[in-house]
Amino acid sequence: MYKLNFNFLNRYGDMLIDGMKTTLLIVFGCLIIGFLLGTVLALCRQSHNKLIKGTATIFVDILRNTPFLVQLFFFYYGLPVLGIQTGPIPTAIIALGINTSAQNCEIIRSGLMAVKKEYYECAAALGYGKVQTLQLFVLPIAFRLAFKSLVNNFINLVLTSSVCFSITVVETMGAAKIIVGRTSRPFEIYLLILLCYCIFTYIISFLAKLVDKKIHIVL
Amino acid sequence: MSFYDYANLTGNDAMQFLRAAGVTLYITIVSLLIGSILGIALGIVRCSKNKAVSALPLILIEPLRNSPLVTQLFLIYYGLPMVSSIMLDPYPAAILAISLNTAAFMAVLVHNSISAVPQGQWEAGLALGHSSASTFIHVIARQAFRLLIPQAITLYISQLQCSSLVALIGIMDLTKLGQNLALRTLKPFMIYGIVFLIYYILSSPLSKLARDLEKKLSFNY
Repeated sequence: MYKLNFNFLNRYGDMLIDGMKTTLLIVFGCLIIGFLLGTVLALCRQSHNKLIKGTATIFVDILRNTPFLVQLFFFYYGLPVLGIQTGPIPTAIIALGINTSAQNCEIIRSGLMAVKKEYYECAAALGYGKVQTLQLFVLPIAFRLAFKSLVNNFINLVLTSSVCFSITVVETMGAAKIIVGRTSRPFEIYLLILLCYCIFTYIISFLAKLVDKKIHIVL
Repeated sequence: MSFYDYANLTGNDAMQFLRAAGVTLYITIVSLLIGSILGIALGIVRCSKNKAVSALPLILIEPLRNSPLVTQLFLIYYGLPMVSSIMLDPYPAAILAISLNTAAFMAVLVHNSISAVPQGQWEAGLALGHSSASTFIHVIARQAFRLLIPQAITLYISQLQCSSLVALIGIMDLTKLGQNLALRTLKPFMIYGIVFLIYYILSSPLSKLARDLEKKLSFNY
């Protein structure tokens, strides 16, 4: 009978915690990029200009229909060809951020579409311009409607960020891989990582529920 | 043949792309089949009236849904041989990991769509003299199925893309082939462009299908 042995934590615990910090850095970097770019893309897809709409649609379509791992490799090996030299972590943030933005775009767009025509008319009647209408009326409502899906997407983002170890980013999974290489205890380490991710996502969904109660609206 | 000739793509590479696409499809389809069946079973158990029974699948579902597929894959491929005598080859390990992952997500979809059928439908079935099993099969399952299909296809698309992760345990699928060819030809843009294209061709018809079916199958009570 195999006995589980977690002694490696004494020696490599710090490494794991550093990895988690890197995961947090990547995840929150991507959260910001994904949210902003996702909103812009969603607005572009609602645009009346066919060129803008078409470009945004194709961009989102490609990103949603190809695996993140390939996108990651594309950016990691492709960016230097264009003359942009970045480290693995910025590359991971850029690639994952862009990937998330495509997913967020669809969600925010469905939120935007759920905002009724009357709101636009109401804002127009009150004398607001186009930008102000979006900023003060439409976007806040759309975000509130889309909040739950956005949180789901964020959890997905956290899980996907574990793929970044394949371009040598030492985040949680990367640290785990290094520790496995040094201690030959893959079962314990991967199990531990699995539980860590579970706990992290539970914390996120718990917080999200608290926030959702406050901002929930029914149209 | 000079080095530069070798660096270009040949007809043989085209065949390799086809073969790799086949590997990707094979792994995806097999694991989606297994995963869907297991997921439907778990989802039905989740709907049980007995609270203890209905909570049982959560032991499997929750960790699988809330942790990355890579970790599950590595746990099965590298971790399992350490603690037991089960030593899986890359293919079975990949299929096992993706099927379990699919099953967990599928179970939640099944549970949600069964619960989305109004309680009145149950009562109507029972009132017409059906047994509860018969009500489930003839009344509830059909309506739940209509709700389930578009969501299941969306899940399948995401699992098709997740199947690229099997490249990390050394299976020669599209992603791994792309990686190898990009290193050989030193033209990452072109190679990954081709890989993108193939994945796009595989998954965009499904996306379109999901969108169409969602419109076609939606109904109001």
